[in-house]
Amino acid sequence: MTFGSYIKASRLARYETDRTYSVRQVAARIGVEPAYLSKIERDVVPPPSEATIVALSDQLDVDADVLLAMAGKVSKELQAVIRKRPALFAKVLRELRDVPDGAVLEVVRLVRDGDW
Amino acid sequence: MITLENNALQFSFPEVHEDATCSIAFQRTLRIPDDNRAYPLPAGLGHFPQFHVDDFAAKLPKAWIQHGGTLLPMWQSEALWIDFGTWGADYPCAVKIAAGKINAVSGQQWTPELQRDPQDYVVIPTQPWLDGFNVAKGLIRQFVAMPLGQGYSAEEQLTGTAEHGGIQILVYPMKATRWEQIKRARAAKSFEINSDIMFCRSAFNEDADMSLAPGGLMRQEIYDDNYGLDAWDTDNCARCFVHLLNSNQFHAVTDHSPPTKPITPAEYKQAGVPWFDYYADGAKAIDGAAPLRGLKSVAAKIIEKVGKPMAQNDPIDITSSKVLHAPQGQTVREGRF
Repeated sequence: MTFGSYIKASRLARYETDRTYSVRQVAARIGVEPAYLSKIERDVVPPPSEATIVALSDQLDVDADVLLAMAGKVSKELQAVIRKRPALFAKVLRELRDVPDGAVLEVVRLVRDGDW
Repeated sequence: MITLENNALQFSFPEVHEDATCSIAFQRTLRIPDDNRAYPLPAGLGHFPQFHVDDFAAKLPKAWIQHGGTLLPMWQSEALWIDFGTWGADYPCAVKIAAGKINAVSGQQWTPELQRDPQDYVVIPTQPWLDGFNVAKGLIRQFVAMPLGQGYSAEEQLTGTAEHGGIQILVYPMKATRWEQIKRARAAKSFEINSDIMFCRSAFNEDADMSLAPGGLMRQEIYDDNYGLDAWDTDNCARCFVHLLNSNQFHAVTDHSPPTKPITPAEYKQAGVPWFDYYADGAKAIDGAAPLRGLKSVAAKIIEKVGKPMAQNDPIDITSSKVLHAPQGQTVREGRF
């Protein structure tokens, strides 16, 4: 699925139950012209800026990191995380490239429960 | 599983349902006067910072490492409220909350099972917040931090010992089958009313262990579980022990500065911070817990111990409060002022 088609599908899913999710109204809420949002949805133009993608993710209630990744971008926050320890994170990502989702989730830091 | 994100505990149960998530955070707030008047709900003043105990294992007591979980700093006499949230799906969860292993809803000693009569848990998202111990129907006594071992905590008052301290949390998600039924019913309803649902999120948007003691009285209802015990997936749960440090300990252990000193009633008033009353139309409140009814508040204990009234405990005259109604989803009372 392309970035544009994903945005369109997410918006239309909400539009089914909430008419404020028209192209015009969503565009107004994220601060772009309706024509521009329409072009984004049809993949006529490249994905918008990080700020616009984050605003879209907020409107459509989808994960900003997922949208940014679909747009071929990495959020400034994640860039900062990687820049702190670039060799380590490059290694981690390569190691996890083909690992199943469940195993990747185990890498996430969990709050440890103990004996009480 | 539980993760710690942005100072909130994020509970998720992917083995139960992909929607089965909730979050629990601890909000700093004004300590209301402890004068037996019933006050409305004060605002949240930001989350307490929270860390994994494992990150500071070398500087913490062995018992804390055994407990696992997290830690957060509180100033002596600072108050907190517990902020329950969902990640968008509003997946219902049953949550048991204890302070010093005394159940804050039933007043009974900690057990892992859910108990219906008397109810010893809250249901989220029906219950958006919990500000204190359930002392009477529609009334709680505010959670206030006091040093463990000096007789103030609910734990010490009810058991006579100062053994556990901290806050204990246990979350059970709803059974996936039950959730799917609710989702279908909601989808049908939202189709019928065609988008009349706009979820209203607020635009605002010492040397001993600390424990939670009962402070001033506040108007807050704890809602009855209208799903019934059978709705909860008791084969799956996640729990966390949240340890409380005083601000000096927190700095010594973490090298982080503790949060600023708690706001005083005068500062609260001067800043024009609102008060709130919350109504969940149609939700039934449970009765106060018999064991908690007899708790002495911090102010009463201070008079008993030192024969003098508690300092900085003048009454506050509140002329109005903002009334919040539970929408069909959830409401969040929080913000920074």
